[in-house]
Amino acid sequence: MSVLQYLLVPIMDIHLLILVSIGVLSGIYIGAIPGLSGTMAVSLLVSFTFGWETNPAIALMLGVFVGVVYGGSRSAVLLNIPGAPAAVATALDGYPMALKGEAGRAMGIATSQSVVGTLIGIVVLACFAPLVSKLALKFTSVDYLLLGVMGMMMVGSIGSKSIFRGLTTAAIGVLLGTIGMDSMTAAHRFTFGVTYLLPGVNYVVAMIGLFGIAEALVQITTKDIQPIKQKIDKIVPSLDVVKKYMPLTVRSSIVGVLVGALPGAGGDIAALLTYDQAKRTVKNPEVPFGEGAVEGLVAPEAANNAAIGGAFIPMLTLGIPGDAVTAVMIGALTIHGLKPGPNMMTASPDMFYLIVSCLFIASIALVFFGMTGIKIFTKIVEIPKGILLPIIIILSVVGSYAINNSLFDMFWAIGFGVLGYFFKRYDYPVAPCVLGIILTKLLEENYRRGILLNKSVSGLILSIFHSPISFSLFALIVVMFGTQTKTYKKWKAARDAKADVKAV
Amino acid sequence: MKKIMILGLIFIMIFAAGCSKKAEEPVAAASNELVANAQEKTQAADDAFPTKNISGIVQWGAGGGTDSLMRPLATLAEKHIGQSIVVENKTGGTGSIATQYVHDAAADGYTLLMGAENPQLYTMLDIINLTYKDFEPVIIIGDETVGITVGKNSKYATLTELIDAAKANPGTITLATTGKGGLPWSVASYITAVTGATFNQVPYDSDASARTAVISGECDLTVAKIQSGLESHLSGDWKYISLFSKNKIEKLEEVSLITDDYPDFDQFLPWGPFYGVFVNAGTDQAVIDKLSESFMAAFEDSSYQEILASFNINPLGIKGEEAKTYLKNWQLNTAEALYKSGSITKSPEELGLK
Repeated sequence: MSVLQYLLVPIMDIHLLILVSIGVLSGIYIGAIPGLSGTMAVSLLVSFTFGWETNPAIALMLGVFVGVVYGGSRSAVLLNIPGAPAAVATALDGYPMALKGEAGRAMGIATSQSVVGTLIGIVVLACFAPLVSKLALKFTSVDYLLLGVMGMMMVGSIGSKSIFRGLTTAAIGVLLGTIGMDSMTAAHRFTFGVTYLLPGVNYVVAMIGLFGIAEALVQITTKDIQPIKQKIDKIVPSLDVVKKYMPLTVRSSIVGVLVGALPGAGGDIAALLTYDQAKRTVKNPEVPFGEGAVEGLVAPEAANNAAIGGAFIPMLTLGIPGDAVTAVMIGALTIHGLKPGPNMMTASPDMFYLIVSCLFIASIALVFFGMTGIKIFTKIVEIPKGILLPIIIILSVVGSYAINNSLFDMFWAIGFGVLGYFFKRYDYPVAPCVLGIILTKLLEENYRRGILLNKSVSGLILSIFHSPISFSLFALIVVMFGTQTKTYKKWKAARDAKADVKAV
Repeated sequence: MKKIMILGLIFIMIFAAGCSKKAEEPVAAASNELVANAQEKTQAADDAFPTKNISGIVQWGAGGGTDSLMRPLATLAEKHIGQSIVVENKTGGTGSIATQYVHDAAADGYTLLMGAENPQLYTMLDIINLTYKDFEPVIIIGDETVGITVGKNSKYATLTELIDAAKANPGTITLATTGKGGLPWSVASYITAVTGATFNQVPYDSDASARTAVISGECDLTVAKIQSGLESHLSGDWKYISLFSKNKIEKLEEVSLITDDYPDFDQFLPWGPFYGVFVNAGTDQAVIDKLSESFMAAFEDSSYQEILASFNINPLGIKGEEAKTYLKNWQLNTAEALYKSGSITKSPEELGLK
């Protein structure tokens, strides 16, 4: 009974309802601008709401959080510029849809999937939080390493037709990812004595340059591109459509919650992994992946929003942040006199259920704000290029500065823009480069930790066979890799042919 | 089309208005100075400080320990200083980016470094050639007690058991650190310097991940601030086995002090991570005094004291010479222990600390 009461607190309170909704609405716009992140928005709110009561402050932050994660898909679909790393996978099929005049449909699907994903995340958070956090704690450094390897397998899925080209840009990404001060030994790598190179390459900056600025440069140098007239009749996807993709949505959301609950991996990794598995497992999509497949939109959008609920699991059960935004929220709760940690569910269950309930309200608000603004948003694609492109470049440069108030990041973004321009000109895919930068840290640090913990490389390899989680991940990688080989494809083709003969 | 043009015009006008406002400020400041007569000129400038917004550069990320202490303090100090303090995070390189940035800015008191203890180690680790000696302290807010923690199912119930095991089989006990120069690394160096025990150090990317590693049993021990580890201790997910302090903590009465087991630690204590606000060296003394006054007033505000209590910070609230002595002792003390344990290769004399 008391649980129900706690859950109803925000729903009965008009102030909290309004605050969550304002949060979602502003979050969508903040998230759509590359460089403005949820972490930044929520930490600004910590100062802004310093003198407020706890509940309204938290309600506003939760609304913004949900809005921001969703908002990243907007610019990914419309302009091929992911608003956040978690939306990189969304751009892969979302933008091709916009090029076909289906931006409205794409955003409608992204909205519905984000809402369903958020809801699944909330259900897992409310019902299975202790269970999931126990599972998340079982993840060792070796498991994170294997997760990184699985992420790297993505290069095969998002590369262009040629795997060699994908590997080339991924390798450049990995190399650039090693720049800066090594966080484990404080050694300087490729910094050439320049202090401002110590933080290394921020992958959001790389993303802004490679996607945003490069895309603008390519379009500027291509003559006579006419804006694509957008169809805006079928925006809200019918229930049948949502139902049709439900199995994929649920599967992706569950991966999203679990990866989101891992303190060392978040929505960005979840979105990439689920895109990859969707591409591998969905047979005969209506449109091929990479050319505007709806499935390629469903998987990452469901996963990155489901990761929100996931990120709260370690925060509320262990006091360990699941991602950067929940880290800020721990600080916010402490300032308001609460003690986020393992005792929170017993000491202040009202706050636990307030968070659950506000997230629920936020996902409902997402339906309204997500579906209503689409018509205006699609107009963005129809703006003449002469006006749109300079705005994109300005936003990209400002966004890259805003991440860490760093002039150097601006130079990086412009540099990546030029690099990305040549990639695109010579038909090298840019996404693997971003992937390389994102995954370098995960791969390298966990590999080194794995060796330190197991004393040697052979010890690390052996340890894979001692833990059920490591072994399952390893087996998955072997299967993923094996099914891509020519021998397997030949064997499968032969078997399918046989089966066909029998059926006849 | 027309609408977009109008929108563009509005933007340009707002932008222009913003620029002209900025341009007016120095003019106003200059005319103020002209009004004052020659003898009182410097006095007038002091009274005038600050004439524009002050920016506070936080070394660590949004939501981190340093950030959470600095933002409320800045909000309170604004009222006393009469201008806005705009807090920005410039992270990276263990805080060295922010340190370098503030050092590169003009020494006029308009750019504040809001930092933790890390710069005191920069020259020892060859990160950058700056320490707090290149800055003037505005206020040192407080320091934190740290403790040694093990997982709930750990074989080791006391620090002596743990250290004896580490000495018997060097390199078998795993210590989760936050990298070279981080808190667990520093405390491990102190332990090596005093007891001779060494650990297999495994670096993680944040104190939250190091904590996760110990709670999950991937590593045997880590060193954690009371702020970040207390809740897990109270719930039994992990436990403090020894406090790196001379004084007990109210909520951790049952945990023994490191000096109980090893009295030799006494020479290095009290020691802990600290937080402070700094300005570039060479800033006018009157400006520093004005800043110190305002920040001290903010520090003494009861609402700020409550925040310090909820983060388990031991309040210090020192400025001027007192703060400089504190910084000097802290650095020398740490350098001696690090050098003795072999964690750094430069002696305190070579580092110019003695």
